[in-house]
Amino acid sequence: MLEVENLDAFYGQIHVLHGVSLSIKAGDIVGLVGANAAGKSTLMYSLAGLRTTCAGKIRLKNEAIEDMPTHERVRRGLVLVPERRRLFPFMTVLENLQIGAYSDGARALAHQTMREVFELLPTLSERRTQLAGSLSGGEQQMVAIGRALMAKPQVLLLDEPTEGLAPIYVKLLFELITSLRALGITVLIVEQNIHHVLQTADRAYVLENGRIVLEGSGRALLNDERLKVAYLGL
Amino acid sequence: MAQSPGRISLAPARGTLSVFEIALLVLCLVLVVAPIPQNLQDIIVLTFLWAGLATAWNIAGGYTGLISFGHAAFFGIGAYTSTILLVRMNVTPWVGIWCGGLLAAFCGAILAVICVRLRGPFFILSTLAAAEVIRIAALNWSSLTGGPEGLAISPAADPVNMVFASKHAYLALMLGYLLLSYALTKLIDGSRYGYYLFAARDDEDAASAAGVNPLAVRTVALMLSAALTGIGGSLFAQYFLYLDPTFVISPEVSFQFALLPAVGGLGTAIGPVLGSFLITPMSELLRSYLGSKVAGLHLAIYSALLIVVVLYFPSGIAGALSGLSRRKGGKS
Repeated sequence: MLEVENLDAFYGQIHVLHGVSLSIKAGDIVGLVGANAAGKSTLMYSLAGLRTTCAGKIRLKNEAIEDMPTHERVRRGLVLVPERRRLFPFMTVLENLQIGAYSDGARALAHQTMREVFELLPTLSERRTQLAGSLSGGEQQMVAIGRALMAKPQVLLLDEPTEGLAPIYVKLLFELITSLRALGITVLIVEQNIHHVLQTADRAYVLENGRIVLEGSGRALLNDERLKVAYLGL
Repeated sequence: MAQSPGRISLAPARGTLSVFEIALLVLCLVLVVAPIPQNLQDIIVLTFLWAGLATAWNIAGGYTGLISFGHAAFFGIGAYTSTILLVRMNVTPWVGIWCGGLLAAFCGAILAVICVRLRGPFFILSTLAAAEVIRIAALNWSSLTGGPEGLAISPAADPVNMVFASKHAYLALMLGYLLLSYALTKLIDGSRYGYYLFAARDDEDAASAAGVNPLAVRTVALMLSAALTGIGGSLFAQYFLYLDPTFVISPEVSFQFALLPAVGGLGTAIGPVLGSFLITPMSELLRSYLGSKVAGLHLAIYSALLIVVVLYFPSGIAGALSGLSRRKGGKS
């Protein structure tokens, strides 16, 4: 579904990612873990085509997308839910969701998609006329995911979705991710919350200093001693 | 949660009209038909025209965040297009103003392709430079524009040539233009396209991530703003009946476009209108009463008043008024 080959990424002058390769199968939940500043968010931004300059290959459904602007990648089904949610706080929940349905294809289905999003995330339906900035952190994260779903994604990139959330929402969020897989959406998730993510993920990659140092099934990695080394530098 | 400057309670919900707006419209209609001394009518004509122009600028500067100091170029392109068509080819301005608007929109698209990727001061400087290019072209292409001597329209009243004897006709014309600009702004306010614009303005990365093409929505906004400014330029030419590049395509005109929305409330529909209703009569009255007595005094007082407004109403008149109505609403 999503293939990354030898990706080098630069954030300004700084060389952050070194030869990163990933292979993500359709319908999988894939975790991406690593210490702070390992390059997780840079990888997410690079995949979405934001901010960074990259060298290497990114293929979505066997189509090269590395030279496409962000909105073209979204139109093809690769959608990022950015770190810290990045909602438009002075717009209502409904307006935030509508922004997600920008491409012609997504807009044609917007009404139906909106119904599906409200079924999946009933709290949003209750809050639809409220300003997004007035919601709790957990609710805002739901809006951010809802906004991404409006674009009809095939691959969803979640960058630290549980950051700053109450435990009840962390649990809800991982249930949501599992139900997204049931809908046929492939998920790549960056997480600090390593236990949750490795238990949920089908596969996971460990990033250290801009390089992939470990990969395997989520549960296998959870018991891998080397993970502690990568994570804590022990 | 504080309200955004874009959602003031003067315009309670996007795309709907508030009581305040309707009252203002009624007042404008009264001013059009009321028997007022001619020199005051002149001021009201200018107030309506500048309000329409400021509203047009606000679509780019306020709604899109494309702060342009080069809108005098679009103003000049509109003014010269309709005037050249009239003077040299005898095409009625009733057709010419739309041609001017279209040409200005086209030039807006070119400017967008070149400059819209630039950020902040770089975009501002490039618009300033673009306007200078147009001004110098107009000064030197004498066979078309009349060069520094300018172009004059025959002052003989003729509705076909959009030249009127009665000030009421000009008042109606300029109010019509203001309403056109305002209606388009309100349409953007309440439309999906408006959300895209605000999203791209407030957080470009997040808008892109959500699938919005920021360059495309900005380009359309700049074209729309340019077209309306061009139409305003044509109307200006029909009112003054004389054009010369040094005045029409001057940085002063560009700054005025930006100043009125900044005073009234940037990024609000009503802001540029309030800005013009305050500033235009003030500057005209100061000039007519003081300009002949002490040279430069009217400019000093005008500047001092501007400083007061900027210091005490940083979010513009619209922001101050909505703050006031919110406080009242909170008490009741």
